Amino acid sequence: MTNTVLVIESVVLVLLTVLVAGLLRSHAEILRRLHMLGAGVDPDVPLPDPRTRSVDLPAHATAAFVDAADVDGGGLRDDAVHVAVIGIRHRTLLAFLSTGCLTCQTFWDAFGDAGRLGLPDDVRLVVVTKDAHEESISALRSVAPKAAAVVMSSTAWTDYRVPGSPYFVLVDGIAGRVRGEGTGATWDQVKNLLRQAGDDADDAGREVRIDRELLAHGIAPGDPSLYRTAEQIAEDARA
Amino acid sequence: MNTLSAHGLAVGLPAGWEGRIQRRLATAASEQTHAVVHLANFALPEERDDFGGGVTPAMRSSDVLVVLFEYGPESAGSRLFAAQGMPRVSADMFGSKRLQRPLPGQLGCQRFFTANGRQFCLYVVAGSRVYLARIVAEVNAVLADVAVGP
Repeated sequence: MTNTVLVIESVVLVLLTVLVAGLLRSHAEILRRLHMLGAGVDPDVPLPDPRTRSVDLPAHATAAFVDAADVDGGGLRDDAVHVAVIGIRHRTLLAFLSTGCLTCQTFWDAFGDAGRLGLPDDVRLVVVTKDAHEESISALRSVAPKAAAVVMSSTAWTDYRVPGSPYFVLVDGIAGRVRGEGTGATWDQVKNLLRQAGDDADDAGREVRIDRELLAHGIAPGDPSLYRTAEQIAEDARA
Repeated sequence: MNTLSAHGLAVGLPAGWEGRIQRRLATAASEQTHAVVHLANFALPEERDDFGGGVTPAMRSSDVLVVLFEYGPESAGSRLFAAQGMPRVSADMFGSKRLQRPLPGQLGCQRFFTANGRQFCLYVVAGSRVYLARIVAEVNAVLADVAVGP
């Protein structure tokens, strides 16, 4: 009888220990999240700067990349614009911005000085806003960067399922696929997205990179130089 | 095939090509501006002149730039624009001395014509002679898909 009571007590004790440990862990997680949100209670730990806090920056890099689409729309000079995004040899960073959102101002300012963006050589920046009836063209003209294409295209927002601005989509022109997408509060965060997407592409798309290099040198699929044997190459070298 | 249309012009673009159809903003109330079309098989820079200034220095050997520049109605009936209909190009029309801005290796071609009562200059810059045959075929395919409204 005493043994049975001891066993029951032991079991209850173990269960209570597990329960308390779970509660403590949950409490710690709540405190950590509060701290991240700028409402921490520990005066010794510095709060993160809300200006550099990531809003949401998922870099999708799986085999299930969504298809990309070229961007058609209007320009800011009474023009019709077609920007090729797929079937080309470079990558395109589509920046979905508006003149009305406060966070976007950071990016309009950053894009004004293209030389300081630090974009990789094979990445072209294209800014996409909504159509003229949803945007202010005069406001757009005042903030639009001179060196980057600005296209008004609500269709592109739909094609790329843009949830809101600012939003960034990196498209691989050769594969015709989206390599990364997300949002950020600063240009540095978006550059990080590019870096992540590039690393993932390194793992997943070595062939695409080689194709890009070959195309950059004018060697397209079916080019005879791709089918030369080692003997032919050695013979040419001797000649 | 992607279609680009504005200012009474419509252009069908093959995959990998991009384009702009624009009309310069008038600088004086009395000034009348006309359509300028830029088509290319590479990324068009934003700062570019009507006839490719700012564009051609960055072109690679296999690149091609196509410009359709519309002139005003005062040109109607002149001998320069006597040819009717959208022209086609051939390799023998290209030369290094036919460039607005000569650059090593590049070749140019210029044709003046009238289509649907509107006067145009077709100006093509090829990145190099090595790819000229392919470029001519691509340009003629694009020109076949240009529609000019009245």
